[in-house]
Amino acid sequence: MSGAGEAESVPDLTGRWKAVAVMRRTVLTLLVVGQTLAGVYGMLSVLPYHGGDLLEQSILLLFALLFAWISVGFWTAMLGFYMRRRGGDPQSLARRHDAATLAATPLARTALVLPIYNEPVDRTLAGLRATVESLRASGQLDHFDFYILSDSRDADVWLAERAGWYALCRELGLEGRLFYRHRPVNLNFKSGNVADFLRRWGADYRYMVVLDADSVMGGDTLVRMVRHMELAPRIGILQSSPSLINARSAFARFQQFANRIYGPLFSTGLAALQLGEAAYWGHNAIIRTEPFMAHCGLRRLSGFGLFKGSIMSHDFVEAAYMGRAGYQVWMEPELHESYEESPPTLVDELTRDRRWTKGNMQHIWLLFFGRRIRFAHRMAFINGILSYLASPVWFVFLVLTSIEATRLTLWPIDYFPDPQNSMFPVWPEWHPHWAVAMILSTFFLLFFPKFLAVADVLLSGGRRQFGGFWKLLLSVFLELFVSMLLAPIRMLAHSRYVLEALFNVSLHWGGQNRTDETGWLQALISQAPGTLLAAGWAALALWLDPMFFYWSLPVALPLILAAPTSVLLSRVAIGRWLRERGLLLTPEEQRLIPLVSTVAEPAPLNPTPLSAFEVAVIDPRLNRLHRAQARHRRTVEPDTLRQWAQRCLEQGPATLNRFQLNALARDADSLAWLHRQAWRATPDGYWGRRIGQLGVAVRGA
Amino acid sequence: MPYHEVEETLARALTYLRLSGIRVTPEVARRALRLVDSALEEGEQRLLARVMERLPDTFPLPEEALPPQTPPLHHASVHYADSL
Repeated sequence: MSGAGEAESVPDLTGRWKAVAVMRRTVLTLLVVGQTLAGVYGMLSVLPYHGGDLLEQSILLLFALLFAWISVGFWTAMLGFYMRRRGGDPQSLARRHDAATLAATPLARTALVLPIYNEPVDRTLAGLRATVESLRASGQLDHFDFYILSDSRDADVWLAERAGWYALCRELGLEGRLFYRHRPVNLNFKSGNVADFLRRWGADYRYMVVLDADSVMGGDTLVRMVRHMELAPRIGILQSSPSLINARSAFARFQQFANRIYGPLFSTGLAALQLGEAAYWGHNAIIRTEPFMAHCGLRRLSGFGLFKGSIMSHDFVEAAYMGRAGYQVWMEPELHESYEESPPTLVDELTRDRRWTKGNMQHIWLLFFGRRIRFAHRMAFINGILSYLASPVWFVFLVLTSIEATRLTLWPIDYFPDPQNSMFPVWPEWHPHWAVAMILSTFFLLFFPKFLAVADVLLSGGRRQFGGFWKLLLSVFLELFVSMLLAPIRMLAHSRYVLEALFNVSLHWGGQNRTDETGWLQALISQAPGTLLAAGWAALALWLDPMFFYWSLPVALPLILAAPTSVLLSRVAIGRWLRERGLLLTPEEQRLIPLVSTVAEPAPLNPTPLSAFEVAVIDPRLNRLHRAQARHRRTVEPDTLRQWAQRCLEQGPATLNRFQLNALARDADSLAWLHRQAWRATPDGYWGRRIGQLGVAVRGA
Repeated sequence: MPYHEVEETLARALTYLRLSGIRVTPEVARRALRLVDSALEEGEQRLLARVMERLPDTFPLPEEALPPQTPPLHHASVHYADSL
């Protein structure tokens, strides 16, 4: 295995990036610090006692943190705009080699790995099929093998995956090149899944490309990534910047539009700051297998509560370890044809964020106790942590400002807020025009980069790809409006997730909706706490001072309207309505890209009304496939298995729990017995009816 | 014996053949009919079960080669640093 020493021994022909990175980060730090100091000074003027007591000092501290946070985003976007207008970052990988050099670089064996966990099988395999076909079209398919690495727990899911894999092998002629491995025990989540692949077959490949269940990547892009890695042996990870595609609901369309129009600016800026010390996002990236295996094994955390056990958000840590071993991690925004999908609804997004919050909060431990991790990667940890921690900070900031408003209205004026250091009274002052200036400057930091992104599109001549100038402009205003509606809802949800994570508890306040669209009742129940809190806060504000009430509305109103917002944004019909009117369009929707369009509405792999387990029992070919792949080591006594099989035969699989179904589906004898008995079952029995349905479907096909 | 039982037995046999990858030609249908007919001659009880038991002998079912689910193992280690 190669080590840090080996990485250092490979000549770094482009070492100048380090000096450039230091220079850019220094300038960024100066700008952010300077801007934050100016903001704090402005806030001092706004506060009635000018930071003269503990309450106002706390407000100032939180304000400084939030202002610095949005300043980082602002200047990152500025840098991105600058780089894009000058034709790209001269330090980027894309500028390092010309097309002829890249084309002349031989490829190396590469595995595309697709770790999945109870994902929609049709869509997942459609994405893989599109990627394979694109690689075939590139003429370089022979250098790649493909692995579906399943951690799925439900028999109905993993049986469908295996049946889909079999169909895909036959359809694509990839027998012996496309593999399927199901892990019955999903130890250490996704990173454990990938590590299991590496232990078994990692040594066979110089590179692995990690995909997500909703990933699609173009063949030419994959080939280019391998060649970049071949030309730069010190690069350990090369991350692409995926674009969102195939949005159908209104919510997903807003996310897709925002990602497509603002994303390039921010990702270019981020890449220009990080250069060879970028982060790994867990998918749509290529990894040098040998150093990854040598240095990126993830130890369990040894702390307490959240900070004990498996690392959940593995990607940032793996990038940090790669960096620690002397390898570079690059993110290259100019690697096109890298796609993923948005969660369809706000509920789905928040469900995902709940996991990510926990994972990022775990990084606090690594931030302080991770040894020899590069400063840039510690900054990446902070970036991830603050992505979620900013929400409770904002929440507490609002609470403190409410207390301040309450104090000014209800309590007697304190003329000596700091009696030990002042002999003269302090008169509270309130300058609404300064407060308005502060709000406007905050809005400027938040929204100006978005208009700059629009300017970038217009200057690049890309307005038609977004539906034309006026529709683009209208789409941007719509997106701004929706993002303002969503911000307080996300803030409250993230605050709760941070609390859950830090105290290692689970705070449930309503059921999660996992269907395609969010129902009214579910939305009302799940958003009720936020709605009540906001209504109470707004009522208090109105009672205290009408002016304070107006100030509270931008946060309170979206929370009061959270349920209808969540429901309406989840609607596919509204998404379609927007698209039909040319709003929120993206370039991928404007021109037909086979790679994208083939996964938009994938054909069902199992077009029958039967479950995958039922098909596995009845379909002779699939029954044979599943029997051939069944485990020989039994974990359940044969007599018990026979009892479960008997019950399944008489009453159907719905009478068995997940463990029992998994045990039967993994046992070749049980599958064979069920198959035999099901076909002998009377037509009016459970299996007889199922065979009848399958027969109708087969005849129809 | 009710007529529909014979009909259902024949339909079941043909569905099985179709799902096994056998194209149901007139010749295949005639052989399936003969199979049901011979099973019927032995009695009406367990007609469906008898037909399904004899189906593999009457129609050699194609057994396609299954693709390897995984390649041969090539064990290697994932290393863990001494510290976080």
